[in-house]
Amino acid sequence: MALRNINLEINRSELVTILGANGAGKSTLVRHMNGLLKPTHGKVTIFGEDTRSITAAKLSRQVGIVFQNPNNQLFAQTVMKEIEFGLKNFGFQDSVVKQRVKWAMDTFSLAEYADRSPIDLSGGEKKRLCIALVLAWDPSVLILDEPTVGQDSEQKEKLAAIIRHILTQKKNVIVVTHDVEFVWPLQPRTILMSNSMIVADGPAQQVLGNPEIVETSNVLVPQLVDFSIKRGWINDFPPTPEAAERRIRV
Amino acid sequence: MQWVASGFLFVRGHTIYHRLDPRVRLAISLSIFSVSLVSESILLVSVLIALTLGIVSIARIIRRFAKSMVFTAIVSLIAFGLNYFFNPGNPHQAVVFGVRLFAVISSTSLFFLTTTPDELEQVMKWLRLPADFITIFVIAIRFVPVLMMDALQIMDAQRSRGLEFDRGNFIRRLRNTIPILVPLIAVALNRSLDLAEAMDSRAYGATKRPTSLYKLSLGTGDYVVLILNALGLTIGIYLSVFVSIF
Repeated sequence: MALRNINLEINRSELVTILGANGAGKSTLVRHMNGLLKPTHGKVTIFGEDTRSITAAKLSRQVGIVFQNPNNQLFAQTVMKEIEFGLKNFGFQDSVVKQRVKWAMDTFSLAEYADRSPIDLSGGEKKRLCIALVLAWDPSVLILDEPTVGQDSEQKEKLAAIIRHILTQKKNVIVVTHDVEFVWPLQPRTILMSNSMIVADGPAQQVLGNPEIVETSNVLVPQLVDFSIKRGWINDFPPTPEAAERRIRV
Repeated sequence: MQWVASGFLFVRGHTIYHRLDPRVRLAISLSIFSVSLVSESILLVSVLIALTLGIVSIARIIRRFAKSMVFTAIVSLIAFGLNYFFNPGNPHQAVVFGVRLFAVISSTSLFFLTTTPDELEQVMKWLRLPADFITIFVIAIRFVPVLMMDALQIMDAQRSRGLEFDRGNFIRRLRNTIPILVPLIAVALNRSLDLAEAMDSRAYGATKRPTSLYKLSLGTGDYVVLILNALGLTIGIYLSVFVSIF
């Protein structure tokens, strides 16, 4: 899939979501961000470096991608070795590797599975492991490709909490999804894609709060926006059901 | 790599060649295959390659054909090189070996690129092959491009974890394939189990002779092409066996 007329700049410590229907070009766009795909026209620069002059393996040290399907990534005998793999590829010293593996397992509640095969973990645990193994090497940018696919509501809440935690560390988080309900409470900068092009880019309130723009991309408006419009709240849509409830009481 | 893999994805065509009965397409490919195998003539095998390319052009699958033949072209060159190296006194034989390999594989590729898995199944049923064998074969063909796309996604995922496939000596490069092979096998096994369950739940195997929704039938155009093909095959075999041409 070829992207068209993309002109995009992402600032440091920004939470960005890329929304669009299947085949809109979201995954293609983020694959340019760690050099898995190289532009044939135009230029992609990550922290000032042209992606065409550096390998994906090297660029990934700065830009970590968590892919949609955990089964496509897990291969090691144990959870611990799975986390070690990336750290060793990036040339971390053994003492640092140990430290980072412990941190990743503790942060993502994986310590009890340290010696278990990653293949035996549940879907939610595999997803957590995939995020942990990327964050273990401390990339400046974390890209989550369709993180909510196959996740129940509890797992989604945990995932949202993880994203909020990562943002406190002044990192970039880019969430590629078509799940508007998941990203709406996070109120990210929202990039809407359709037919390999960016059709809207701005704060969530502005982009997702505009049903005309949202529907042109075959994406549904968040339920809270729909609810607010029906109640006559035109601007400043509540980000959570609790905020909506408070406004009704007032 | 992705460019090559996309050549193996089946795309349904609507050209005059695609409209031929799949048995006729099989006969054409088998004829090119057989004459290429028997012939010792560079000229004749080259004509067969040109004929295959002509059909590829009529079937409008030039790009996909080119993608699927990238490795064959390389292997044909290696076959030529090895033959020339071990038998330097007979360069003619080395060239025949290279072009023959290319002609044989391109004729096979032509058939598979223009035949849907459903049509392939019909042809195999017509050949009265065992039902289970047909199912296994058709599923295997159907999942080749899927597995290739899986492999590419896994390679992307592992490259994003700092793995450089083309770095290090031979042993290291061999070890670098483990992070691809293990998930690929795990994904393939999971998919096969899911598929087996889906087939069981749709009563696969409940009857020994399942009926078919579609029946193969030859039209006038098919008979004309079959006669021309038989004529071409006879001339090809005759030229290969009885006439000595360069």
